Amino acid sequence: MSRQPSLTQSMSGLHTWTGLVLGWLLFAIFLTGTLAVFDRELNWWMQPELQDRQVDQASAVQVAQRWLEANHPAASAWNIGLPTARDPSLSVSAGEQRRGQRTLIDAESGEQITPRETAGGSFFFRFHYTLHMPRFLGIWVVGFAAMAMLVAIISGIIIHKKIFKDFFTFRPGKGQRSWLDGHNASAVLLLPFHLMITYTGLVIFFLIYMPAATDALYNGDRDALLRELRPGAQQQQGAARGGEGGRPSREVPAASAAMLPLEQFIALGEAHYGAGMLSSLSVAQPGRVNARVEVRPLLGSRLELTKGEALAFNAITGELLRAPPPTRTSLLVQKVMAGLHFAQFGGYPMRWLYFLCGLVSSAMIASGLVLYTVKRRRQSAAQGVWLRQVEWLNLACVGGLMLACVALLWANRLLPADLAEREGWELRVFFGAWLAALLHARLRAPLRGWLEQLAASAVLLLGLPLLDLQTALAVPDRIRLGVDLTGFGLGALLALAAWKVSKRPAATARAARRAPAVMAEVQS
Amino acid sequence: MSKLVSRGGAVWPNALARILFAVLGGYVFTYSLTAALARLLPLARIDAAISATLLSFAVYTVFVLWVFARPLRQALWALPVTLVLLLIGFGPQWFAGGEV
Amino acid sequence: MNASLLCLALSASYAGMLALCLGTERHWKQLAAAAPPSLRAWCRPLGVLLLLLALLLSLQIWPASMALVGWLGMLSLCGLVLLLLLPYAPRLALGLPLLGVLLAPVFMSG
Repeated sequence: MSRQPSLTQSMSGLHTWTGLVLGWLLFAIFLTGTLAVFDRELNWWMQPELQDRQVDQASAVQVAQRWLEANHPAASAWNIGLPTARDPSLSVSAGEQRRGQRTLIDAESGEQITPRETAGGSFFFRFHYTLHMPRFLGIWVVGFAAMAMLVAIISGIIIHKKIFKDFFTFRPGKGQRSWLDGHNASAVLLLPFHLMITYTGLVIFFLIYMPAATDALYNGDRDALLRELRPGAQQQQGAARGGEGGRPSREVPAASAAMLPLEQFIALGEAHYGAGMLSSLSVAQPGRVNARVEVRPLLGSRLELTKGEALAFNAITGELLRAPPPTRTSLLVQKVMAGLHFAQFGGYPMRWLYFLCGLVSSAMIASGLVLYTVKRRRQSAAQGVWLRQVEWLNLACVGGLMLACVALLWANRLLPADLAEREGWELRVFFGAWLAALLHARLRAPLRGWLEQLAASAVLLLGLPLLDLQTALAVPDRIRLGVDLTGFGLGALLALAAWKVSKRPAATARAARRAPAVMAEVQS
Repeated sequence: MSKLVSRGGAVWPNALARILFAVLGGYVFTYSLTAALARLLPLARIDAAISATLLSFAVYTVFVLWVFARPLRQALWALPVTLVLLLIGFGPQWFAGGEV
Repeated sequence: MNASLLCLALSASYAGMLALCLGTERHWKQLAAAAPPSLRAWCRPLGVLLLLLALLLSLQIWPASMALVGWLGMLSLCGLVLLLLLPYAPRLALGLPLLGVLLAPVFMSG
């Protein structure tokens, strides 16, 4: 057994290895998480059939009610997804509320719209916490990566001796020194964000990751624990499913009664949650004596994550039947932490702050991965084989994923709208692009590979506004323009990065001499 | 791998032991501490459960760092401590036939 | 209104980070070598005040707990912008707060 190394040595080794081995996964998690900040906007961009009619929620709900009365007058429940600032679509469904089975209708005319089937921005959101693995496995892998991130952050702080002296230090153009400066600076300046986003990410699934308290105090029965948390929750779920207690189909429909106009409930809901803060409305037993209206808030009126909450009203009299019960403190802490991670609060300024911080974090992780190789390139050639593996993995995971993400957007617009199983095909393009990038990374010398992949992603991103204009079905609205311009901006950044790589002499001919023997064979 | 080997002699068994102890042992230790804490905290049952669980990730992180910072034989102290914590956390269930 | 407040809050955050930066010997020499050295002692307290101003402005944009989150995010990102400007465009680094303050009324009328 070797002697115990000093604290700096042990933490340095721990930081390097945790950062390297989990860094590839963490980059994917952080990048897709960053893109997921604008998931609704990306969903909207990827369904150009939808138009923003600029109607307020009260008018929209009238349109929806007319459609539902015409098409499902005797349904046991109606559900209406209201147009919001981030998602101006109007969706309706009848019967039991099920995700993905809603009909989209034009918010002005009430006509049904069938937008193209797409993976959407929601794909990035799901990828972010499951890495496209089966849900249970994916959550655990991401959780493990998150724990590694915490270890990397704290060990990084411990080894960064000159943390305050070097706070604003960045010396470009000095090779390894610059990479270390960049990695340190982006890590330290965004330290509050990194700690917060990582810890709160774990907190979202806290009972899954750490069931100890459930096992000890509730004999492992998580449902019992959840019931004790929110005694009102079970009732809410029952009502949302269109009936109190029993299955709707077995109940005899009650006598008919005239309901209050639904737009009145918008006003009632806004009184509680704030103007423009409603996301959906559902009616149980519409047109009957026991009709109830439930109004759900947009996530983000408070820091606390308010998923699943609703106000319930008597549909005939407008009387408030049930307001969400105040949350007990311990659960409030968990919901605030989850809310901090979900970043649904604070409007667009806050959303942009999260997006920019997420981009910097992703760059921070990538810089750490690159730093590892830059440092060792200068050392002895005996490390050739291992270093070579890390080099191509870095490129495949960082460059490849970026390319795959923008390829998904291009696929969304270029694949025919009526293609069968379109979503599957979009994903095939995503993973195909990633696989191609991976093979490219294996075959090319590192710097040349980086140059080519960065340039390819840059070109696709810079071309995004053109792609949108060419393939859009109407004049791009505010949301779509936002996506186009952001993509363009990111493309410009990547182009700058590619240009900087191209200035390195090793990115051109001389690389052949310095790269390991196998590369010299494949090149030229 | 070269970094592990180049420090003179076979370093990797020590490193591997630490990794396993930190990751697996760390989870078991954190699990036990969370259970014990949930039982000991002077709060309503549900609040104790949530609070203890929320803290668990910080505990796990510190444990991992500690396993790498201290000599391996010191890390073995975690074993008896874990046992005690498990007894506190699950004692009532194991010996008194179920909780609630 | 919100946009101009945001612009001001960002300017204050950036100015605060700039002041804290100037308070260090290394960056004072880099950016303000010509100024009287006795002024350096004022930089850190000025920086703290500017950051508090940024927090106050954040509280006008968002409700309390959200404002804290937004403020920390702004500090981090402004610090990063400063860090990137220092080696490439030190004059712009010094002049940026002024630019921000001048831009703010533009958003208000918009």
